[in-house]
Amino acid sequence: MKSKLSRRNVLQAGAVLAATPLLSGIMVRSARAATPTKVLDFQTYADMAKVEQEGELIFYCHENEAGTAGILAGFRKDFPKIKTSYVRAQTGALYTKILSERSAGRFLVDAIQFSDVAPAIDFQKKGGYEVYNSPEAGGYKAEYLSSPAGAYFWTGVTFAGIAYNKNKVKPEEAPKVWKDLLDPRWKNAMSCKISSSGTQFVQWYMLRKLYGADFWKEFAKQNPRGFDSRVQLFDRLARGDDKVCAVAEYAAYTLYKEKGAEIEFVAPPDGLTATPLLLGIVNKAPHPETAKLFLDWAMSNRGQAVYQNDRNLIYGSVRSDAPPMPTGKRLRDFKLLFPSDWPDYIASQETFTKEWNSILGL
Amino acid sequence: MRSFGLGAGASAGQKITALALTVVCAVLVLYPIYYLIQAALNVGDPQARPPEQYGLANFVGVLQYTKILTNTVIVALVATVFALLFGFVMGWILSRTNVPGRATFEQLMALPYYVTPLMGALAWSLLGSPESGFVNQVWRTLGGEGYLININTAYGIAWVMAIFEGSVAFVMIGAVMKSMDPSLEEASQVLGGGRVRTMLRVTLPLVAPGVLGAAVFVFAEMLGSFSAALVLGLPNRFYVITTAMYQLVSQYPPKFPLAAAMGVSLFAVMFVIVYLYRRIVMAGTYETITGKAFRPRVMRVGGLRWSLLAVCLVYLFLAVALPVFTLAYASFQKLATAFPRAGNWTLANYTAAWSMEAVRSALANSLLLGLATATLGVGIMGLLAWIIYRSRLPGRAAIEYLVMFPQAVPRLVFAFGMMWAWLVFPIPIYGTLWLLLIAYLTVFLPLGVRTIAGVLLQIDKNLEECAQMCGAPWGYRLRTVTLPLLRPGVLAAWLLLFIASVRELGASILLMGPKAKVITPAIVESWFATSSELTAAMALLQTLVVGIAVAILLVSTRRLAQLGGE
Amino acid sequence: MASCHISVQDLAVRYGSVLAVKGATFEVRQGEQLTLLGPSGCGKTTILRAIAGLEQPASGEIRIGEAVVYSSRQAINVRPEKRGLSMVFQSYAIWPHMTVFENVAYGLRVRGVRGRELERQVHDALALVQMDAFVGRGASQLSGGQQQRVALARAFVFSPSVLLFDEPLSNLDAKLRAEMRIELRELQRRIGITSVYVTHDLEEALAISDRIVVMRDGVIEQIGAPDDIYHRPRNAFVADFVGSANLIGGRVKLDRAEDGLIAVETSGGSLVFGQSYGRTVGTEAVLAVRTVHAELRRDRPDAPRNVWPVQIRRRIFQGDFTQYQVDWEDRPLVVRCIAGLPFEEGEQVYLHLDPCHCVLLEPS
Repeated sequence: MKSKLSRRNVLQAGAVLAATPLLSGIMVRSARAATPTKVLDFQTYADMAKVEQEGELIFYCHENEAGTAGILAGFRKDFPKIKTSYVRAQTGALYTKILSERSAGRFLVDAIQFSDVAPAIDFQKKGGYEVYNSPEAGGYKAEYLSSPAGAYFWTGVTFAGIAYNKNKVKPEEAPKVWKDLLDPRWKNAMSCKISSSGTQFVQWYMLRKLYGADFWKEFAKQNPRGFDSRVQLFDRLARGDDKVCAVAEYAAYTLYKEKGAEIEFVAPPDGLTATPLLLGIVNKAPHPETAKLFLDWAMSNRGQAVYQNDRNLIYGSVRSDAPPMPTGKRLRDFKLLFPSDWPDYIASQETFTKEWNSILGL
Repeated sequence: MRSFGLGAGASAGQKITALALTVVCAVLVLYPIYYLIQAALNVGDPQARPPEQYGLANFVGVLQYTKILTNTVIVALVATVFALLFGFVMGWILSRTNVPGRATFEQLMALPYYVTPLMGALAWSLLGSPESGFVNQVWRTLGGEGYLININTAYGIAWVMAIFEGSVAFVMIGAVMKSMDPSLEEASQVLGGGRVRTMLRVTLPLVAPGVLGAAVFVFAEMLGSFSAALVLGLPNRFYVITTAMYQLVSQYPPKFPLAAAMGVSLFAVMFVIVYLYRRIVMAGTYETITGKAFRPRVMRVGGLRWSLLAVCLVYLFLAVALPVFTLAYASFQKLATAFPRAGNWTLANYTAAWSMEAVRSALANSLLLGLATATLGVGIMGLLAWIIYRSRLPGRAAIEYLVMFPQAVPRLVFAFGMMWAWLVFPIPIYGTLWLLLIAYLTVFLPLGVRTIAGVLLQIDKNLEECAQMCGAPWGYRLRTVTLPLLRPGVLAAWLLLFIASVRELGASILLMGPKAKVITPAIVESWFATSSELTAAMALLQTLVVGIAVAILLVSTRRLAQLGGE
Repeated sequence: MASCHISVQDLAVRYGSVLAVKGATFEVRQGEQLTLLGPSGCGKTTILRAIAGLEQPASGEIRIGEAVVYSSRQAINVRPEKRGLSMVFQSYAIWPHMTVFENVAYGLRVRGVRGRELERQVHDALALVQMDAFVGRGASQLSGGQQQRVALARAFVFSPSVLLFDEPLSNLDAKLRAEMRIELRELQRRIGITSVYVTHDLEEALAISDRIVVMRDGVIEQIGAPDDIYHRPRNAFVADFVGSANLIGGRVKLDRAEDGLIAVETSGGSLVFGQSYGRTVGTEAVLAVRTVHAELRRDRPDAPRNVWPVQIRRRIFQGDFTQYQVDWEDRPLVVRCIAGLPFEEGEQVYLHLDPCHCVLLEPS
């Protein structure tokens, strides 16, 4: 028991250190002899000899099965000798899992990706991230990095509008603005995500800011159905089980459009609610050097290409020099709605979970 | 009892083995339950361990979920009634009438058990969703309005659960019907009671205790069931306790204490029910044990036998053929529909499923775990069964209660306790296949012990005692007499454990780790996170692989048996 | 030869809250065949199983030879396999997964007998029960009687010090049972082994036993040689259980006793003479007369005592004997006559009860 306590103390001490970015930055740099290695076409501070020794990467990811596998397949394509494994779960579940493990002194993960800022900031506060300033960080504006930098970065953005089934809904009847979701026509025929979804949290937060708390009170009367992943939402929409999807991610829309589903995407003029997807490496990781390599790779254009182009991912890249998405559009071509005040956003988590559970009848 | 009497007459080896097994069982069963109860009483910071404050507030919290509580009871009740109806009708037809192909049907009745509620739920979801369900598509094509069936309701869930639990009810009720002395019915007929009168006044009252036992058992199973409600209930905002628990711990911040309180409440209720079940069964067993073996009298039902044949065929069609066919039909389409266009056919789902790490490594892990669980399981559970039902060791009744305990705890609930218990366990097994192995061995204790005990109790006690009188020590006796006689039971238990492990969902879904994935939770995850066509392909692959594994095993044991017999 | 081999002292066995055996004390002599006889549920099998060690007693002591195998006082309970006994079970307990040879060889193998020696001993044992022709048979292919013989061979093949028999003949049909009874007795004599035999069948007990222990409700009612038990039952239960008997009760008339006989006056005023066999005589007494020992005659028999005129009430033909119910005083009496002399119903005859067959019972 005693040793565990002391371990926690050390952890907290680490967090204090991390709070001084300059200091930690210097420490990391000095420890690495200041010069990054060039691997393929990107830079890394990872010790490649050790990477070879470790030979393995364990990844916790909020993304769906195929998407998660896609990220790792992209990484393995560049580094075939590294074995990869993953756990996928919704952000909430994933965060719960890693916290339980860490509280029991189990450190099993190298890198973790969330679809919500709240757990990422919380995890940073708890000192869960390994502070690592990637040589690739230069491609990102400060707002797309953790504050202080070094904990996590925005590996992409997913954004959601409205989608409907063309066989069930005539175009003239289709919703055009967010408030059209409150039309009684969609009662018992509309889908959304469950409360553990970051995308859903952002949408709730932003639309409440725009239209007031009454918007969701009205929305609740529609008896919407909540699901775990965007694929499931579109699967149902494509089949006509739901007429309208209230939180339709563009990425899933493109995937199902490609399959030939009779669906349409609507971008409300007030903007699309957007959620950053946050990747960071975890401290006390079993394979720390591989974790660094993975982060650098993900930050680089090589990794970003995988994130943007994999049909199960289609994340918009926030990298300054990112090429367009497969649809030809760039992230900046969409009007996106981000929370501007992250602390306020995080503070409203409790309210959101409660309200959303009751909206879904739980 | 005097102190020397403790275990007197039993060999030291026997005592040590019994003691060791008891300790292992106690750790397996009680250690997680301790953590579960601790979490349920935690009213302080839910993340803090051990809890900083204890109280009953969480249980008060459970009461606010009246809708979910009533949902659970309604689904369980309706499903139990249907399952009993299926079980009783099939039991009566197959054990008491001269329906054509009786023996074959009896074998086939095991199939729904192998198909599992999860596969059934996936298939029935494709068939019976109000909009996209194949049945409803056909209905609308034929000119119908809206939908014909809606599987995403309490009755839909109950229906799917009942179809599969029906084969369990069949086994239990069929056994009672077979063990009934036919002369009791003949007496009624000789005395002038007609066939119907005999059925109502003699047959029914005689099988009533057995049916009641089956009812209580099935009801308890239904209360704790998870997969059908998860797949079919969620789309319609319909929650039962297990699915609500799963949702509550999957979100952030997780509501562990509330979920644990739900779990503890559920298992308290089930504990009472299982206790009742055991009382009923205990009261009944004496008759079957002391009774002679009867050749059940078969009723000649004339032309009715063809109608009864149709009943059997319809049941097996709904429970086995239709679900499997539906999944196969969907798995070859891009977007599954009842009337696919020519371009909609594809093999992509299978290539995708087969290329997924989640499928390949998980399938291999599942088979490995199945082998390990079944092999270790029959050893441990066989010894336990012997100690409980054959030894004269004191405290064996306590061991029996310990072993049967997991029956009262839904596997998902047990998994919560195990998750916390084995997370803090000094040996790092959390997140490995070892944890799953331990979990399976724990949750399947009652299944294995009951199966082996069923055969053990049929073996004349004198056969072992005689070996003892010949001077054989315990181990020698077990090896030369008990085990060879138990072989059919051990084999049956092995197969049951193997299949149950490979199909396990409730415990695995919470306990698997990044390098220790198993297949069934992967299928459920796929259902939630990828397309239903891919999920169908995965489910069929699983069934196929398990089927092949079982077939290989059966063939090889048969060959072994032949070799051994010569 | 008459030294004590098994001694059972104050043995009590409890099943849950029921006391199945309530303090039984008896001895089995070296080479003797002792039978525990009683109706089902009397505790006879329980005692046998307690001797075997298969049942744990609540209290008492059991010795086999010099060794104490169970003692509640000394906290001793030797395991069954260490007691050096052997047992033949009611169900035969022939192991269905073994051949006849393997079944019989089992006890020898446990004792480390191997190879030629094993084969010889198994063969000898099977020859003794005339089953040597079946040595390679599967056990499940045998008839009941054959299984019985194999079970027997298996039980004695390893020369145990004591053989226990738990109703070994009860599953055989009547004719086979009678044959096996004789064979068993023969075999027991030949190998001269101490044996304890449990049965509820009186004829069987009388035929094969050196001594019989009669039991009822967990209590020993009488111990004695077969003829002793038969001719001098101790009480009403033994008298009736060991062959049917008429019971005649009344006041003891000490003043009318003669020739070493006692005289009992019934409520009807008849004076019945009987034997006390040294038992204590009180003021009230019950005499037992076996139904086969009562005698009916057309003409008055030439006997000084115990002769009365009676009327035949009912006649029942039963093959080997005919059973009559006669009116004696105001009560019916049952008489069994061997063949011959058919009396008609309603006929007036004479009843003679030989005083040496009118046995005084112990007061209950």
